[in-house]
Amino acid sequence: MDYKGDIYYIEQVLAGKNNAFGYIVDQHKNNAFNLAFRICGNHEEAEELAQDSFLKAYRALNSFKMKSSFATWFYRIVYNTTISHVRLKKKGVLSLEDFPADATDFIGTNTNEEEAEKEYRNSLVNFALQKITEEERGLISLYYYEDMSTDEIADVTGISKSNIKVRLFRARKKMQEIIEKTEKKKLIYHE
Amino acid sequence: MNSQEIYKEDLLRKYIDPEMIEEAPKGFTSKVMTQIQLESKPLPVTQTLREKSFVPVISASVTVLLIAAAFLIPDNKSASLTSLFLNLSKNLKISLPEVDLSSVFRLTLPSVMIYVFLGILILTLFDRALYHIFHREK
Repeated sequence: MDYKGDIYYIEQVLAGKNNAFGYIVDQHKNNAFNLAFRICGNHEEAEELAQDSFLKAYRALNSFKMKSSFATWFYRIVYNTTISHVRLKKKGVLSLEDFPADATDFIGTNTNEEEAEKEYRNSLVNFALQKITEEERGLISLYYYEDMSTDEIADVTGISKSNIKVRLFRARKKMQEIIEKTEKKKLIYHE
Repeated sequence: MNSQEIYKEDLLRKYIDPEMIEEAPKGFTSKVMTQIQLESKPLPVTQTLREKSFVPVISASVTVLLIAAAFLIPDNKSASLTSLFLNLSKNLKISLPEVDLSSVFRLTLPSVMIYVFLGILILTLFDRALYHIFHREK
């Protein structure tokens, strides 16, 4: 079934058809889960946080202004819910030694070398993400995974556009250093 | 954006693949919808009971106040507002028989007041009966 757009289903929910919210959940669940996961770094917590965000959105649906983008409004909920959770429960970060040294470590029973390389890079990104602050993780996720502009990120996070540019630059720099350091370690490992 | 920054950003893009998003686990939508269905159900019994007990308390208080006011109203023409009310009620001509309770309660209530109290009592009983009939499902 074709998705008829957020506004259509929101109006259905507001008219009393609660089941219409299921279409909204289906449409946004992966992005919500991904954003929560990139910030908190744990699948179980990300699932709970994404669910919690959908419930918050459902409860506050009356306050949503139809003129604005539902995705932006909803990502704001996911971002704030996850950031608050991580701040409350600061976790210990992984050490560089914890990271697998080679893409071959990611080859499972059903993955080929190319997929293993993708998995390796993805895990390296997750690893680097855990080394930066939760706020920076949110900005990186919104910018790279959700492909949002700095204007849109400002809408979601409530941080000024100029501040976002500065923080994104710092976050990128930190992640770059972590990735380079890990890659160097990988070369030493091979020698 | 300087060249170094572009270089760094591009290098990060090499690692970050927007296609590699973490997907929500199976059954995610149904879990959310189950919670929503639970939220849509009526409030828990404890809360409704509290609300239910709140209404009769208010009505009982108002009734007690009215009765107390009736007892405390002085039979004195100098008390402007109360005497006005008393005079009005005394002057009301009703076709119902006069009820004289002065010998029983030592009261000088106009008979209209007695009918008013009787009316309130009957309406309260009706209200309770109707409440039990129409709110039984809750």
